[in-house]
Amino acid sequence: MPTKTIDRRDFIKTTAAAGLALGAGSRDAGARASNELRVALIGAGNQGLVLVESCQKIPNIRITALCDIWAEYQQKYVSNRLSTYGHTHNTYIDYEEMLDNEKDRLDAVIVATPDFWHAAHAIACLKAGLHVYCEKEMATNPEDARRIVRAARESGKLLQVGHQRRSNPRYLFCYQKLLREAMLLGRITTANGQWNRSRQDLRTMPARYAMSPETLEKYGYRSMQQFLNWRWYRGLGGGPIVDLGSHQIDIFNWFVGARPSSIVASGGTDYYNRETHEWYDNVMALFEYPTPGGTVRAFYQTLTTNNFGGYYEVFLGDQGSLEISESGARAKVYRDIANAPDWGSWVKQGLLLAPEEEPEPQPQAQLDVRESVAPPSYALPIQLLKPYHQPHLENFFDAIRGKAKLTCPGEVGFETAVTVLKVNEAVEANRPVLFKPQDFEL
Amino acid sequence: MAAQFEIRCTHPDAKYARQAADYAFRVADQLEQKLSRFIENSDISRINHLSAGEHAIVSYETMQCLRLARFMHAETGGAFDVATGKGLESLDLVPGEFLVCAHANGVHLDMGAIGKGYAVDRMAEVLEDWEVEQALISAGYSSVLSLEPPSGSEDWPLTISMPGKGANATLANVAGRQRALGASGIRKPDHILDPRTGKPVRLRQAAWVSAPRRVLADIGRPAEVGSSPAAVADALSTAFMIVPPVEIKKYCCRHPGLEAWILQPHLIHFVNR
Ligand SMILES: NC(=O)c1ccc[n+]([C@@H]2O[C@H](COP(=O)([O-])OP(=O)(O)OC[C@H]3O[C@@H](n4cnc5c(N)ncnc54)[C@H](O)[C@@H]3O)[C@@H](O)[C@H]2O)c1
Repeated sequence: MPTKTIDRRDFIKTTAAAGLALGAGSRDAGARASNELRVALIGAGNQGLVLVESCQKIPNIRITALCDIWAEYQQKYVSNRLSTYGHTHNTYIDYEEMLDNEKDRLDAVIVATPDFWHAAHAIACLKAGLHVYCEKEMATNPEDARRIVRAARESGKLLQVGHQRRSNPRYLFCYQKLLREAMLLGRITTANGQWNRSRQDLRTMPARYAMSPETLEKYGYRSMQQFLNWRWYRGLGGGPIVDLGSHQIDIFNWFVGARPSSIVASGGTDYYNRETHEWYDNVMALFEYPTPGGTVRAFYQTLTTNNFGGYYEVFLGDQGSLEISESGARAKVYRDIANAPDWGSWVKQGLLLAPEEEPEPQPQAQLDVRESVAPPSYALPIQLLKPYHQPHLENFFDAIRGKAKLTCPGEVGFETAVTVLKVNEAVEANRPVLFKPQDFEL
Repeated sequence: MAAQFEIRCTHPDAKYARQAADYAFRVADQLEQKLSRFIENSDISRINHLSAGEHAIVSYETMQCLRLARFMHAETGGAFDVATGKGLESLDLVPGEFLVCAHANGVHLDMGAIGKGYAVDRMAEVLEDWEVEQALISAGYSSVLSLEPPSGSEDWPLTISMPGKGANATLANVAGRQRALGASGIRKPDHILDPRTGKPVRLRQAAWVSAPRRVLADIGRPAEVGSSPAAVADALSTAFMIVPPVEIKKYCCRHPGLEAWILQPHLIHFVNR
């Protein structure tokens, strides 16, 4: 083991940390419920706040440390909110300092920083012996995503990747009950999905909230502009296909039950300025999935100039179709009247809600002639009565307590990352791109 | 909720002002996610699903809005009621814990008549934080807050008109400057219920409330949820669809600066300057 000379700075830091630990220990020893978990948040941006709001609704979760480099704004805002919710916590600008001071008093860390920071943050936390909830996309390149999974395996700690639909009761129901058990759609041949958004300016903030150029540079940002709009920059994010597509292409992989074998994709920065929008502002991608039942093809589109149709995923089989979206208003199964058996028994068993009945003809009539109507659609008997990310966080916390299995462990998140990141490669290549078996190896 | 939000503003840097407005719209969207009864997993939907003995943990903004709603319920003698007579009393609010506990089944909250105003107030805070101060904010034209007027103008010119008639049926002109307005009416039939009888309001066609921000903020102050003038105006205009004219008159007398109009079918104007 290398010996380490303790310099004054280190010394002060360690004593300060010990003092804190003692204070916290004596203050809270009696109060800490036996199944209470102590959690830190790195990255208190938009998503960090959403996750805080979900954690607030889960019993026995204490957020005791908060790290965000933007002390002038986001850190302050989220810290205030935590205090309002009664979560006594320490705040940090630097994650290493936070881990040095807090790791012995923490169980888990939520990482909600920009994608290119995930690997450094998640790996440091895992090495510190903490369970990690890491936001999607795991990384901006497959190698970093692979390193995170390896670190989790080496540490023996849990790694949940933030594809929250994996814990959404509606998605779980569709997968387990409708697709696997009842095989309602018959043979699935096709999937499609989209996330279209309206035109949007780049984010900006009032000048007085700007971070110092030194801080920006230290953490890998050229300017406030780049910091606020990291998604559009190569090396920092992956553009809309990774930001938005990641959620839904993950569902393709999951529901189809396979890894894709190839991608054809087209995209470009056609509307915005290429200087500021390094990644493609629109992408259309076609995935081919070999499955035991035959080939499945899936189409995905993301636009940033028009939100027509919003966001959803559709799965089509030879007996029916399933339309699903994280937004609850959109979850239906459609029966193919030419080929599907009667679904009445599924309705009786409570798997589907009864479709709106067309009135029967008069007993003396063969037919009642009327305007033709849409084929029967069946709503689902499932509601999500929690904020979207709450079930996924609950799954993570329950897994830490040994009461559940992760719904999106690192291995699953990794396969999705490999699939999604390949789309940008395929756009760049401008020809079909094949997945190699080693792409998915860990 | 489910209203269309609109911001008009003037600023030397149009692009910057647009960004500020975008930020304000995002804040309104986030509130919608918490307060809309049409969104299945909003705080309000979760409360509406509670059975007797159950509780829900809600977010900070929802608790603030519920506390203000409960205060306005008392303030208007029960005329303003986000539960339209179905259970506001049966809910316990525990602010420090963000807990909403139900003591009866069948609570049905609809924050529409206060949530829009609450969102407008939060949007105003964003614009002021961004120093975009010459602005006019509206939620579905029924909850309106004017900040400073454009340079060279005294105010944002606003009107109230015969419902459904618009331009040439102006009933009154209002000078919008640091002032909130709320409007209610029955163009959408039978959507305002008298919480005390459970029957739809049909006699009165419309009600408007207008007052300086600080007058409305003062009215809401005892609720201890910070300043929310547009939300107070929003709630009062709904209450004034129901409250008898003599009570409205008294209320306006107690609050100098507060103006109200009701249409039943002729216009009555209440004001104590
Ligand atoms: N699961 C979902 O539904 C969902 C939704 C939105 C975002 N996300 C993911 O969450 C992550 C954050 O996205 P966002 O929208 O909140 O971005 P954001 O820009 O709003 O927030 C990022 C935050 O991280 C902080 N930060 C940046 N670098 C840091 C560092 N090195 N150390 C500590 N803090 C740092 C920033 O100051 C900022 O507050 C991304 O990975 C994104 O893909 C997931």
